[in-house]
Amino acid sequence: MKSILKIALGIIAALGGFLDIGDLVFNTQAGALYRYDLLWAVVLGTIGIGVYAEMCGRVAAVTGRPVFDTIRMRLGFGMGLVALIASTFVNVLTVAAELGGLAIVLTLLFDAAFSLFVVLAAIGLVIAVALLPFGGIERIFGYCGLLMLVFVATAIHQHPDWSTVAHGFVPSLSGSKLYLYFVVGVFAAALMPYEVHFYSSGAIEEGWTEENLKENRLNAIVGYGLGGVLACALVVVSGYLFHPLGVEPGDLGTVALPAQGAFGETGLLLALGGMMFCVGGAAIDSSFSASYNLAQFLGWEWGRYRGPEKAPRFTVSWLVFLLLAIAIVLTGINPVEITEYSVVFAVVALPLTYLPIMLLAGDRSFMGEHANGRISTTLGWVYFAIIVVLAVAAIPLLLMTNGGGG
Amino acid sequence: MGTRRRRPGVTAVVVALGVSLLFASGCGDLSRDELNRGAESLSALAAQGELIANGVARDATKSTYARVMAKTLGGEAEHEAEKLADAEPSPEVRKERNAAVQIAGELADLFSELQTFPGDERRGALVEKQMGEVKEQADAVVERLTGEEA
Repeated sequence: MKSILKIALGIIAALGGFLDIGDLVFNTQAGALYRYDLLWAVVLGTIGIGVYAEMCGRVAAVTGRPVFDTIRMRLGFGMGLVALIASTFVNVLTVAAELGGLAIVLTLLFDAAFSLFVVLAAIGLVIAVALLPFGGIERIFGYCGLLMLVFVATAIHQHPDWSTVAHGFVPSLSGSKLYLYFVVGVFAAALMPYEVHFYSSGAIEEGWTEENLKENRLNAIVGYGLGGVLACALVVVSGYLFHPLGVEPGDLGTVALPAQGAFGETGLLLALGGMMFCVGGAAIDSSFSASYNLAQFLGWEWGRYRGPEKAPRFTVSWLVFLLLAIAIVLTGINPVEITEYSVVFAVVALPLTYLPIMLLAGDRSFMGEHANGRISTTLGWVYFAIIVVLAVAAIPLLLMTNGGGG
Repeated sequence: MGTRRRRPGVTAVVVALGVSLLFASGCGDLSRDELNRGAESLSALAAQGELIANGVARDATKSTYARVMAKTLGGEAEHEAEKLADAEPSPEVRKERNAAVQIAGELADLFSELQTFPGDERRGALVEKQMGEVKEQADAVVERLTGEEA
């Protein structure tokens, strides 16, 4: 029973960490612009994050090595440093976007000054991290993130033409630059590297060993799979409601409108609550990820379980990243715009962190019998090829479409 | 983004840069395409306004949400109105530009009403109906500019 509960908690943690502001924004915009046509890209991204997370979790459980330890070992200091700088840049942008998103949701709920909520949200996150154990943070944000299931209920309530929805799962490419930009965005939003870096380091925080490999696989398949279902639900509800009306959801608040349409105030509150916990959880995940990466690369003591006394540089760096994020949000830059840039830059930096993990996961001298099998190797290389293509295309598409503005 | 706060200094720099670029490029005319994009944005804003007003009319929303969303979208409508009014239209689209400015102004007023009375169901129903009419007007502008049904 205990082990079942542990697996369930792990799955919920994976689910809670999956949906962030990037998914909310890109999936809703994708539905509004292209109805159900980009569902296949959500599925592609969801399988990708599952493959990547499973490998990272397996490497962490078997070798005790987190992501950036592996990267430095495989790429050496110079290239490792490039990967670190790129990842840190993306992580800080992501923390800023998530913090801004959290402040927006709080503003929608309580209608006070946005800047006040930015500061309050950051204080709230510091308190949560200071008071809660690592598992507690995961569970609270994971469980409460399940409020997002209201979007699945909304999709069912809307009664869309399910055969048209099903058609959206068939991959299709169009010559439209905007369409291609959204393919990159939807895929990259699912495959944000901080999620996996956090997951891998979290496995070490929780003392995973080879005994946890089954749990790791279930998290990757069921946890991220459930996250993928929620991401698809966002596309479907947006495609159903916004596409025919020509709504352009450029505001985070618009994401909650379909739930309000279906279930009134209750639906709206569930949607805003779910968004608050998902975005809040992602703010913690991404800020921790930035500190994990730095500490692991530089060989510092790290980990929430060690506490500030035993890992002071890790703790200070976490606070510094949070302060940097606050500063970025308070400049007045639109958090949704920050999100779009962080998602696109993330896919550019992704090959640098993905490749070393894949190579180590397939190395029998390190992984022994738990090295990548035929399926993992094939999927790993297929996704590496996709990631490289998207990394090359991402910035030109960002510029050509004026950041998705058309 | 509705809840973002622009610093006047930053906005001034951005505006100054934009104006300099316009002068440098020697073109300040509002093209048919730009006007069309503006009218489409107005139609999209009106559609969102209609959905929010529908929530107010049915007493199916939270007043803070309706107020903040109305403030945000109203600000966007105002910004669109200023942008369109400031631009120099090419002669063949002057009439449509004027119509779009008027639509943007009407939208801003409707959002202002929602913002002031986010809990008034009767006003919500009225605003919902008017938002629908404004959306039709914006779609008509798009139709005239493109020759296609919006």
